[in-house]
Amino acid sequence: MYVSCERSFNPSLNGKPVIALGNNDHCVIARSQEAKNVGIKMGQPLFQIRELIEQHQVQICSSNFELYGDLSSRLMSLLTNFADHVEPYSIDEAFVQIDTSFEGIYPSYQGLGSAMRDTVAQWLRLPICVGFGLTKTLAKVANKCAKTRPELEGVCVINSLESANEALSDFKIKDLWGVGSRYAAMLKKNGIETALQLRDVGDIDWVRDRMTVNGVRMVYELRGYPCRLLEINAPPKKTICTAMSFGQLIPDLKNITDALTTYLARCCEKLRRQESLARHVTVFLHTNPNRKTPGNGLPAKQYSASRSIRLPHHTNHLPDFLRYAIPVVENLLQLGYNYQKVGIILNDIVPESFRQQGVFSDWPDEKALQIGKTIDRLNHRYGRDKVRLASQLYQPDWSQVQGSLSQAYTTDWKQILKAS
Amino acid sequence: MIDTLDPIPPGNIWAIDPSERVPIPFYLSTVQAGFPNPAENFLRQRLNLQDLCVQHPDATYFVEAAGESMIEDYIYPGSILVVDAALLVESGKIIVCWVNGACTVKRFVRYGKLVVLFPSNAHYTPLYIHPETDQFLVLGVVVRIVSKPPRWDSDQLKTAQDYVRTHRRE
Repeated sequence: MYVSCERSFNPSLNGKPVIALGNNDHCVIARSQEAKNVGIKMGQPLFQIRELIEQHQVQICSSNFELYGDLSSRLMSLLTNFADHVEPYSIDEAFVQIDTSFEGIYPSYQGLGSAMRDTVAQWLRLPICVGFGLTKTLAKVANKCAKTRPELEGVCVINSLESANEALSDFKIKDLWGVGSRYAAMLKKNGIETALQLRDVGDIDWVRDRMTVNGVRMVYELRGYPCRLLEINAPPKKTICTAMSFGQLIPDLKNITDALTTYLARCCEKLRRQESLARHVTVFLHTNPNRKTPGNGLPAKQYSASRSIRLPHHTNHLPDFLRYAIPVVENLLQLGYNYQKVGIILNDIVPESFRQQGVFSDWPDEKALQIGKTIDRLNHRYGRDKVRLASQLYQPDWSQVQGSLSQAYTTDWKQILKAS
Repeated sequence: MIDTLDPIPPGNIWAIDPSERVPIPFYLSTVQAGFPNPAENFLRQRLNLQDLCVQHPDATYFVEAAGESMIEDYIYPGSILVVDAALLVESGKIIVCWVNGACTVKRFVRYGKLVVLFPSNAHYTPLYIHPETDQFLVLGVVVRIVSKPPRWDSDQLKTAQDYVRTHRRE
């Protein structure tokens, strides 16, 4: 998906091996088919593949999440042109519920799938694969088939017993939706290697014993009985986390508190976006576990720590969190180490309408909540972090390294495409 | 001393006769003080450029023009082009496309298998695209052009002032 987005605005990357780097340009998070073919693996650190890159002229992109996010939301919104009910499942996947009402418009599921593919290719220049099935699990199987079998031209339909048998008979159990490496090993040991074998398992209680009720659901879904329904209005998140590694190792408290403030500001924005309040804060920090001491090449001394605190009240107001988070990080920090990452996890999240006053505190403060919303609107209009706390540095030392970042073609007037 | 009591003229003093009472209806609804705003019935959303320019929000991109190859079609360096990728590309339309990796805005003409991109500036020559050898990808059709009006330089301003001076009625 990430490479396709880069190609969408830079077609000269078509046909070439391309990789997208994440995490300060340290490791590979997305590869084009050509890059897979030359042997670059997912998650590989950049320094391990330098030779491959030079040898095959692999193109490198830093991850441009602004662009990917916008193209993703365009894709999801485009899909609602085809059906009323669309569930975005991840940044590049969605479940679409096709009603029978489309029958007059498109001759077949195959035709509908091709129309979706063609529209997305024309509007967004992204290649997609479409899988049809009676249940979500079967649709995932069909999608995988559409992706791996070029003769299907990106559309696979499982709507009959024969097509299901055909697709499931050579579908490896480890590729099935909801089967992790442990379940895959366990099933393999018991002689179940394809999805077909799991579907036709005789003793459903055996599945229940080994794989809990989720395994039973999986089997029924494979048999064509929907157990997982479409989740159109995604429930608000139960945990919010922001933890990015620094662009360079940071030894001092000032920069670390600054990063902490900025990450907390991000978390508060996320909280307000889903109209929630949180109460439980976890702060953690650690050094780079792979680092060698520059002089002698021995593994460097390591330090990591985390601590959780519970605020006296629920809030989404940044200064409230900071009042507790900054002493925590001051407490955790040991001088003499170079830190790689600090992170925040917010827990105990409740809806914004939640009003339970504490015994000793008069919260949540309506004024503070209102200020947060105003700050969000200002930053939305004038750019991220335009209104921020005075303790936040403007050009910090710890910002992410993104050496080959493409432009934000669709979200910044200054970075739009230029045509001569 | 000032007499604070105004004497009531005898003509203003009436005797009340209860048998001649006229009932006055009492309306429970409130009455707005002040003049009602007649425009209230005609309130509508204010006009919005987005509604005018963007027909398919998911398929619309903004592209900045550079160079002077399309100047006769009112596309100047720095103009913002509103490009709709959902529209059909037909001969004669202005499109934004990539030719061998370079992004360009031109008039699209199909001639058999050949695609020709026409500039609208006499100093430029058309671009011939061979489908087999050239890499060609269309972004979309230009549906609007957003430009600032050109600024007068000091010469133009002076000419205008001179014109006013010479044509002024005495």
